[in-house]
Amino acid sequence: MIILISLTTVLFAAGQREIKPDPVRTVTWWHPNSGLAGQATQAMVQAFNSTVGAEKNIRVEAVYQGKANDVLTKAKAILQSDSRRDLPDLAQLDGAAVLDIRDVDALIPMEDLALSDGYDLDAILEAARLSVTYKDKMIAMPFNSSTILLYYNKTAFDQGGIARAPRTLDELAVTAQALVQKDARGNVIRSGFANVPTTYELIAWLGQQNHLSYITDQENGHAGNPTRVLFHENGTMVNFLTKWKALYDTGALENLTSDRNGAFASGRTAMIVASTSNLTTILSMVGDRFEVGVANFPMVDEHATGGVNVGGGAIWAFDNGSGNRDAAWEFVKFASSGEQQLAWHIATGYFPIHRDTYSLPAFEEHIAKNPLFKVAIDQLMQSNPQLQGIWVPSAYQIYYAFQTGILKMLTENRSPEETSRALEAEINGYFAEYLRMQGQ
Amino acid sequence: MNRHWKHSLKPYLLILPALFLAGLFAYRPFVITLLNSLYTVSINGQRIAFVGLDNFRRLFVNESFQTSLSNTLRFTLYFVPVNVFICLSAALLSHREGKLATLNQICFFLPMAVGLSSAMMILKMIFNPFIGIVNQLLGISVEWFNNPNAAMALLVIAGVYLDIGIKFLLLHAALRNIPANLVEVATLEGANPLQLFKYLQLPLIAPTLVFVLATNIKDAMLISSPVLILTEGGPFRSTQTLVYQMYLEGFKSGNYAMGSAIATVVFFLTFLLLLALLQIERRRVYYQ
Amino acid sequence: MKSLKAILATILSLIIVFPIAYSLSASFFSWADFTAIPARLLPSQPTFENYIRAFRETNLEQFLLNSLITASLGMMLRMTISITAAYTFTFFNFKGRDILFILIVATMLLPSDTLLLANYTTIRALRLTDTYLGIISTSLLAPAHIFMLRQYFKTVSGEYREAAIIEGCSDTRFLTLLLIPISKAVVVTLAIHSFSTIFNDYLWPLLVTNKASMRTIQVGLTMLGFSENFDYGPQFAAITVLMTPVLVAFILMHKPIQESVSTRFTGR
Repeated sequence: MIILISLTTVLFAAGQREIKPDPVRTVTWWHPNSGLAGQATQAMVQAFNSTVGAEKNIRVEAVYQGKANDVLTKAKAILQSDSRRDLPDLAQLDGAAVLDIRDVDALIPMEDLALSDGYDLDAILEAARLSVTYKDKMIAMPFNSSTILLYYNKTAFDQGGIARAPRTLDELAVTAQALVQKDARGNVIRSGFANVPTTYELIAWLGQQNHLSYITDQENGHAGNPTRVLFHENGTMVNFLTKWKALYDTGALENLTSDRNGAFASGRTAMIVASTSNLTTILSMVGDRFEVGVANFPMVDEHATGGVNVGGGAIWAFDNGSGNRDAAWEFVKFASSGEQQLAWHIATGYFPIHRDTYSLPAFEEHIAKNPLFKVAIDQLMQSNPQLQGIWVPSAYQIYYAFQTGILKMLTENRSPEETSRALEAEINGYFAEYLRMQGQ
Repeated sequence: MNRHWKHSLKPYLLILPALFLAGLFAYRPFVITLLNSLYTVSINGQRIAFVGLDNFRRLFVNESFQTSLSNTLRFTLYFVPVNVFICLSAALLSHREGKLATLNQICFFLPMAVGLSSAMMILKMIFNPFIGIVNQLLGISVEWFNNPNAAMALLVIAGVYLDIGIKFLLLHAALRNIPANLVEVATLEGANPLQLFKYLQLPLIAPTLVFVLATNIKDAMLISSPVLILTEGGPFRSTQTLVYQMYLEGFKSGNYAMGSAIATVVFFLTFLLLLALLQIERRRVYYQ
Repeated sequence: MKSLKAILATILSLIIVFPIAYSLSASFFSWADFTAIPARLLPSQPTFENYIRAFRETNLEQFLLNSLITASLGMMLRMTISITAAYTFTFFNFKGRDILFILIVATMLLPSDTLLLANYTTIRALRLTDTYLGIISTSLLAPAHIFMLRQYFKTVSGEYREAAIIEGCSDTRFLTLLLIPISKAVVVTLAIHSFSTIFNDYLWPLLVTNKASMRTIQVGLTMLGFSENFDYGPQFAAITVLMTPVLVAFILMHKPIQESVSTRFTGR
């Protein structure tokens, strides 16, 4: 009897799968947008469903899947288990996902979808388009694009008589020193600048040197699997580390790895570098405690004119056997259009990736009222569009390798040369592991 | 004849589910893990080529792994005594009569009602260095997530919080199982609380204590979920533990060979530690 | 001495209870309260908005349902398997009994966390990802429980069973009508433990579920994902919703819980 009950419950459990009957074509879109971005996502989907969607009998269903990493994990799991029908039609993934996704059979390169609809790819900002280009083909649609900025406490600047934001790392060192505040016992209560370089920041700091430098071979992984790093042999890492060490030696740098927004907003540090997508949050957190200023991401030196790269995520299309390709493309076209990108930008602070947005009167109005956003946009326009992010395996481990390596250099007094070489060895090791796993 | 045959088959059938599960989810994966650690494994989980101990060789020179190993052993070293001390203190201090004592006891096993991720998220918020309540209440400004030592301490705190509920219950029950007359006699003979503990309570709760120690060691060596939610291995890998690295390599990077190698190392280390514990127990613990 | 113990115990218990109390208070915080510096203990203006948002913006009920179903299902199956196995090992005499018993109990030494990758591959191959069965599969075998149950059953004399069999009582009836009622305390404890182990499991359900609709509450909670902007409110509301029934149950049932944890099975 017990066995019978157990058996029935087992069968019941095994059969618990989702069933979805559908007359209208439903396009599923997995995304990691929460908070303000989440609301903007809902708004965009609703706008589509009630206009283009209603016309063409398409319904978009946006599913929040956790952080960008989690969306990837889910997608990967399905890809590995070879059950395509479980794939979403669209997934919003970030740079760390590229390696796992770009070569899969189930991926539909966005360029194919665009060209078959007669879409003009030049309408997309070149830097954004190149950020998702692999072997000269645009394989996804840039979506939640951002770059990095220098955020500074303008009130503190005014108090310290500092007229403008630092442009280079050398200037940063000087400015930071002037902003350090100590209490009666000599403890630092406000540091000048708080940061430990992340991969994202290093892409800019290394890549911008000499107007364009590659960090790995294969054009930073955009032309094929990277086999080795170039940042040591082309000297960009040593150059950067030397400047960074000098910054640290002034005593104004705080090695803060987490919660830099909180540190800045609470006045614990006077300057940080952070993504443009943090702007709205930081402004809300700071409130009226002090005035926030933003400036271009500091250059490593006077020759580092490459600017910054476009980071953030993109929308990828999958073939899950549902025949929804065209429907999915309709939504992607909608989401990346001039007006929608404007709405998206206003709500989230992410970059409009469509050229048309920039000439909309509503856009100019918005920028006039929010000059801080203008800084980010100008910075991107001045940057070299060839400066692209790196598509590498073991992104997590590499991130930690950079952070730990740099920390060791600063606290154990290692030389930039030594550190750069060690990083080269470690990261090349990860590349080798990856290639080995491919059977090469 | 037929009935006899069916009758003697019966016990085997009854334990079949358990055996099947043991085989499918314990022994088979164990063998597979061991095997995978000796091969190069493709991103789809296929064993490509036999490489013997090569994976282990590369693993042991990997700085990240050395960090994981050191972190995990250090965590075990900190966590086990601290946890035993706190849980035992909780049990001893509330081992009295009265309504207040009952209230204390309830407080001590209440954390068991808080799920793992709930507890971790609460801790993540209250230990935030800038807007968290702990720094505020204690009047300090410890960088819980940016200072390696503080982060390790936080991990220990998290571990204790997750464990105190059940361990308190076990130790509390063990104390109560000590025959009251023994306690009376000892007290009458003039034993003070310290002597009472050392010579009467400790030996008599020793078996439970050993059980607590064994599970604590096992849990500490395998710690992963708090790392995942609270610190993600940071800062600077200072809280990266073995199982967390296994998750990163095996699951995130798809490097099954390395993940399996790490799993094998964890298994053997834990096994050795527990064996050592059992040796100590054999020599020192009294059973009734 | 007594009062010193009382004072220390109370201090320690307040520290232990503090995070729980704080989360209750925080569930009524507004966003400004969370990001306030200096940090606040109590909400400035208590609001129910977090609760509303938690349920409206996420699939909280679904997560909770998934957790409850998997935990209950898992508990029932686990107890069935464990009790049946323990019973068989205690009262039957068959060839290889001791070896098979050790084989099952020895799996205690193989911590499932080290076998995660291999088990995940198995579940994937069996196409059990995103199913309740997949989630509970690795928790169905409880070697420690089988061990404890057998220890306990051994104290029941084999003569009872023989007498019952002679009287025509089947094994099943003996088990359900006699043995289990006698062992109520143990069974209840192990059942509660099984339930909470499966309910609290985090890493395994994370790996095994992809669909949002199949997520358990432990995984779902961390994905409420508002922590990037310090929008912790809905998370705390969800945590409180999750905690409260269990807390209340624990407080009300504290006596049976404490008494059921006997040391019979851990050694002494």
